[in-house]
Amino acid sequence: MPIVQLHHIRKVYDTKVAVEDLSFTIEPGTMFGLLGPNGSGKTSSIRMMIGITVPDSGSVSLFDRPFTRSALSRVGYLPEERGLYKKMNVLDQLIFLGQLHGLSAQVASRRASLWCERLDIVEAIPKKTEDLSKGMQQKIQFIAALLHDPDLILMDEPFSGLDPVNSFLLMSTLVDLCSIGKAVLFSTHRMDQVEKFCNNIALIHRGHLILSGSMRQIKSNYPRNRVLIHYEGGEGFLQHPSIEHYKRYNGTVEIRLRPSATLDDDVQSLLAQAVAHARVTRFEVMEPTLEEIFIEKVQQTLPVGNDHELSMAQLDQPNAGGLDA
Amino acid sequence: MHNVWLIARREYIERIRTRGFLITTLIIPLIMCGFIYGSAFVYSNSESAAHIAVVSSDTQLVLDLQAELQQRLQARHAQPHSTRQTGIAVDAIDARPRNEQATRALLDRELDSGDLDGFLWITPAPTPDKAQPARPTFTFTPRSSEQDSLRGPLAAALGTVLMREQLAHRGIAAADANTILQPVDITAVRAPHRQDRESAEVSVTLLFFLMYMVISLYGMNVARSIIEEKTSRIFEVMLATIRPQEMMAGKILGVGSVGLTQVGIWLSAALLLSASTIAANLGGQGIHIALTVAQIVYFFVYFILGYAFYSSIAAALGAMTNSEHEIQQLNLFLVLPLFVCFITLKSVLTYPDSAMARVLALIPPFTPLLMYLRVSLGHPSRWEIFASIALTSACIYAIVWVTSRIYRVGVLMYGKRPTLPELLRWLKYS
Repeated sequence: MPIVQLHHIRKVYDTKVAVEDLSFTIEPGTMFGLLGPNGSGKTSSIRMMIGITVPDSGSVSLFDRPFTRSALSRVGYLPEERGLYKKMNVLDQLIFLGQLHGLSAQVASRRASLWCERLDIVEAIPKKTEDLSKGMQQKIQFIAALLHDPDLILMDEPFSGLDPVNSFLLMSTLVDLCSIGKAVLFSTHRMDQVEKFCNNIALIHRGHLILSGSMRQIKSNYPRNRVLIHYEGGEGFLQHPSIEHYKRYNGTVEIRLRPSATLDDDVQSLLAQAVAHARVTRFEVMEPTLEEIFIEKVQQTLPVGNDHELSMAQLDQPNAGGLDA
Repeated sequence: MHNVWLIARREYIERIRTRGFLITTLIIPLIMCGFIYGSAFVYSNSESAAHIAVVSSDTQLVLDLQAELQQRLQARHAQPHSTRQTGIAVDAIDARPRNEQATRALLDRELDSGDLDGFLWITPAPTPDKAQPARPTFTFTPRSSEQDSLRGPLAAALGTVLMREQLAHRGIAAADANTILQPVDITAVRAPHRQDRESAEVSVTLLFFLMYMVISLYGMNVARSIIEEKTSRIFEVMLATIRPQEMMAGKILGVGSVGLTQVGIWLSAALLLSASTIAANLGGQGIHIALTVAQIVYFFVYFILGYAFYSSIAAALGAMTNSEHEIQQLNLFLVLPLFVCFITLKSVLTYPDSAMARVLALIPPFTPLLMYLRVSLGHPSRWEIFASIALTSACIYAIVWVTSRIYRVGVLMYGKRPTLPELLRWLKYS
């Protein structure tokens, strides 16, 4: 039974097309990444999934039924624009939000305490929200979205502004939830963040779906032609004929190999040459990253000569730029 | 409905708990009491003893006038229900020794310094004829228009003095003259079950201001709290579970209940106070809250109508704007109709059944305040009361309809303030 089904949804604001002909399905127990640069329609799509806005055309189904508001009690939502009542005490706030999702005050209070323990913010419980740090507020908001034990969890940019420790804590919480059969969708423009965690992804750009499917399947469509080498010593191996281009940092080089039928052999010969020139501490063969796939796809889909859009897409991703060398 | 209740309850509890609520609950009645007792104090003091000078060449006349005024004051003191105990102290100034101009200059100076409240200039009749004495002419110069009211008592006292003189001329004995000139005394007796109109007016005016203040205060509170939620971006979390209409309804109900609680506290405190002896000691014979049950019931009916009317407008304004600053600019929509009620207060209070009052009280934005005045002090017919409530309710329904549409779109708009065509588009959008 699919948890979410979007069927050719479209949304236009005044003159701007926010989402155009978007379809995808989320099954239970999947970690679904909705990826795209800023302003690509991620938030608009999520808003339509939970009836904050209504699609101009197309249909949304939740839990295998056409959208009704009663389904919302099974959805947990962390909006991109975080919002909590500043003057309100944390526990009261969580109880209130839990009650809006149909919990009784007792249940909400018990679960709120359990969650605060789990996320290591017990000391925040008696405080006012405005007295908390931004990261703590974000955790509270995170708890608020999960308090009513939703079957579908929607997280709009859940990790923005969090330090690595807390990002990891929240991410592993989401992975746990996923493993007990919840469906998790999160949106992000940081594609490097999601590669490790997502089973399924949908890549959107300017409201259009560019790529979707399971992570493994998408990656398997691409040759393993990326090589990462950590080394000390000479750089003569970078003259190897199979190298299409490379990007060199301090003791590290990222290499893209030329497309070829004998890619495996090329890799082995590159390794041999590298060892001959330098002391190699790490040698890794990979598929292209999601970013690279995204950029490639955007280039294919967009009309020729539309360089401007591509550079916009790259600007939005601090880690993009693997093709620049 | 459950969600509306949850929102309203949160709003109510969070507001009641604030220090601001406690402060306004205590301070506003204090300010009002201070104002009332202060003005009553000033009123009684200004009336107590007027000091005037009488310039005349006829010393006997002035002495007679002084005696007459003194006698009148004593007579009034003797009455059980007298409220105005105005004494007039008279300085006699002989007109003969100095010239007129010097005297006038001196008196003018004393008027300016406030030593004198006015002076009476008595010019003798040009040809004194013993057989047919002509009356002298009297001119009174008050310090300000406030002291103009002294003319009445002065004229009455002078009339008696002159009359007594005439009677003496015609050979009537002084004792007989006094009997003839015995002032007529009409004692006011209240009709049973009818309140003293004056104190009813004071109480109703107080409630009018209370309603005016609480409606505008809490109307603005609704707008402000919507803006606050827009700024804190809590809307999106809420909208993921509940409808914008439920949010708006909950907010208006919650904030309104706070207002009702506050008014309830004030009214019960006022009623308790006026029932107890403390008020009698504090207020002397001046002010006490005189309200019938019907007046209180109507107060709450019209208060709720007024609050619903203005707070739904405020909710729309809040949904359309992004900051307190912007709401100040649109505030006019709230303040203007309330201000109209304010400037017509005096005339509706005096003539609650005039054509103007009847028409104005049926126009929905003015109904809550003005119809309340009419119901309390005038005699509106049954159909007028019914029509006023029905019209206002219909109008509130229409406003809520429009507002909930503006709200639904507006709360998710963070950018610039919408233009009129955009607003119209919001109404169609659903």
